[in-house]
Amino acid sequence: MRTRAILGSILASTSVLIVGYQAGVSVTTSDGTSLTLPVDSAAGTDPNATTTETAPTDSSSGSSSGSTTDSTAPEAAAPETAATGPTDGTYTGSSVSTRFGNVQVAVTISSGSITDITALQLTDDDGRSVQISNRAAPILRTAVLESQSAQVSNVSGATYTTQAYLASVQSALDQAGA
Amino acid sequence: MTTHAATRRVAARPPIAGGDYRRAFARRGRRSDALVIALWASGAAAAALFLASGGLSQFSSITEILTSVGIVAGLIGTDFILVMLVLAARIPLIDATIGHDRAIALHRSLGKPALYLLLGHGALLLIGYGMSTGINPIAEIGPMLSLPDMPLAFIGLGLMIAVVVSSLVAVRRRFSYEGWHLIHLLSYVSVAFALPHQLSVGGVLADGSLQRVYWIALYVLALGSIVTFRFAEPLVSSLRHRMRVAAVTEIAPGVTTIQLAGNDLRALGASGGQFFIWRFWTPRTWWHSHPISLSAMPTASSARITVRNLGTGSAQLTVIPVGTRVSIEGPYGLFSDAARTSPKLTIIAAGIGVTPVRALLEQSSFAPGEATILLRASTVEETYHWDEIRAIAAAKGATCYSMVGHRPRGVDSWMTAADYERGVTLQSAFPDLADSDVYLCGPTAWLDLIEVDVRASGIRSHQIHAERFDW
Repeated sequence: MRTRAILGSILASTSVLIVGYQAGVSVTTSDGTSLTLPVDSAAGTDPNATTTETAPTDSSSGSSSGSTTDSTAPEAAAPETAATGPTDGTYTGSSVSTRFGNVQVAVTISSGSITDITALQLTDDDGRSVQISNRAAPILRTAVLESQSAQVSNVSGATYTTQAYLASVQSALDQAGA
Repeated sequence: MTTHAATRRVAARPPIAGGDYRRAFARRGRRSDALVIALWASGAAAAALFLASGGLSQFSSITEILTSVGIVAGLIGTDFILVMLVLAARIPLIDATIGHDRAIALHRSLGKPALYLLLGHGALLLIGYGMSTGINPIAEIGPMLSLPDMPLAFIGLGLMIAVVVSSLVAVRRRFSYEGWHLIHLLSYVSVAFALPHQLSVGGVLADGSLQRVYWIALYVLALGSIVTFRFAEPLVSSLRHRMRVAAVTEIAPGVTTIQLAGNDLRALGASGGQFFIWRFWTPRTWWHSHPISLSAMPTASSARITVRNLGTGSAQLTVIPVGTRVSIEGPYGLFSDAARTSPKLTIIAAGIGVTPVRALLEQSSFAPGEATILLRASTVEETYHWDEIRAIAAAKGATCYSMVGHRPRGVDSWMTAADYERGVTLQSAFPDLADSDVYLCGPTAWLDLIEVDVRASGIRSHQIHAERFDW
């Protein structure tokens, strides 16, 4: 009788754990692909200049109406000056999903350098993630402004936010032709 | 109505062979195993929730390991607390499967592990989060408290510490039952306070996930069974049966029978040997609840309990006015015919322990000659209800022995000094012990002695049914 209960418990617990593990593996792998996707997709959509250019205009008009006219004008001229360096304007990076929520940033470029980064969305699935991303975002912003690139070091304790943030920055820079 | 009467008659007919008892025992064993399996599987499921949300990738650094282990500890600890609520909810299925005593014993044994897991949860997460932001764990409390729902969670943990500490054997003795019970009720508040942070701060039970659905279902099951079986069912039952004190009679110094009148008392479904938790609604006694066994099978309109004056609470019962309203919770316990496993029946009771045995014998089904009863008392004054038990035994064809006198000095024996010296043994008094269910009931010190003797006789532990009278 007791043996049956013990064996049953072991069997049931093991199966439950295996099911949980399987579900977890699929969650992590799908996150892994979505984390690398944005860079690929940004590169892939580069030739389709019209679609990538209209997107930033919409979002920047939503975020700051004052800069709308400023940013649309240079972008119209973007294809011609693309070879010389990044075009001035505000570029919305792609939205990168992590297991703690989506991350999306807008990068402002003026006189050929990165002058501002605005977080449009940060990991916010749960209270702890909000706390982490609120701490990491200013650090990442300062680091990107200093290095003028998306190649900055990881913020410890906020690995997911860091990777997604930098991926979004990179996709915005790709759009600017940096 | 007629079918109801018919089934009752069938149930009352003595079984021809022990096969019925063996089948019932096997069924109970399967249910008991299923409960044990469910208990462990629920703990595993708590850990699986973490794995399912991709937790296995969170073990790549010391910080992540601390945090991950902390989260798993919190999930399993909370699962244990919810299991404890289910065990304490007096769910009829659980009571009929393992009995109230074992359910509460299991409940108690989970208390400390659950608290350690929850304390570990708090400590590991403070250390882990602190390390990830580069501050010490104590300083991490500040930022954690600023998260929504976290202040409640800290209060909940504090309450849970109070509940478990107040239940430690050494500490519990310092409280009256009522004082301890009041602190114990805080566990409901604690469990409720802990829920919001699990749903909002942790990523494991994220919005819209299956994990969240499962977790909320667990909470509904645990709190729902408490509300249903600890509060709603007793209230409905008390209102329906409208019990009142009908007569109070002192049958021996300090021992009183309380006759109760009520409506449709057979519908309570009480078995002989089971107990109810009684509350007598007078200004002086309403706050005190008493677990007391029936000392006779209820009729449609009356029930009876026998109380010995063992404490301040039960002293007041001996002078309870006739007409007092009585509310009830129950019936509870497996010290009844439902626990039978073997064809024959042996009953050994001492002192006030004869009361449940009196009702048990009245209801038990056995063929003439298959039951043996031994009644034990220190003095002739303590032979409560012995006349009634002898009458039932004679009518049903059971053998009834008695043993009156004090225990021998200097030797650990449950027998009288005279019988001990005469060389009476368990085997000489009960030659059929191996084929019997043994029901033991009496004061703890005496019962411990006889239980050792019964176990030493080599019968299986499922054949032994013991009820201790501590109160």
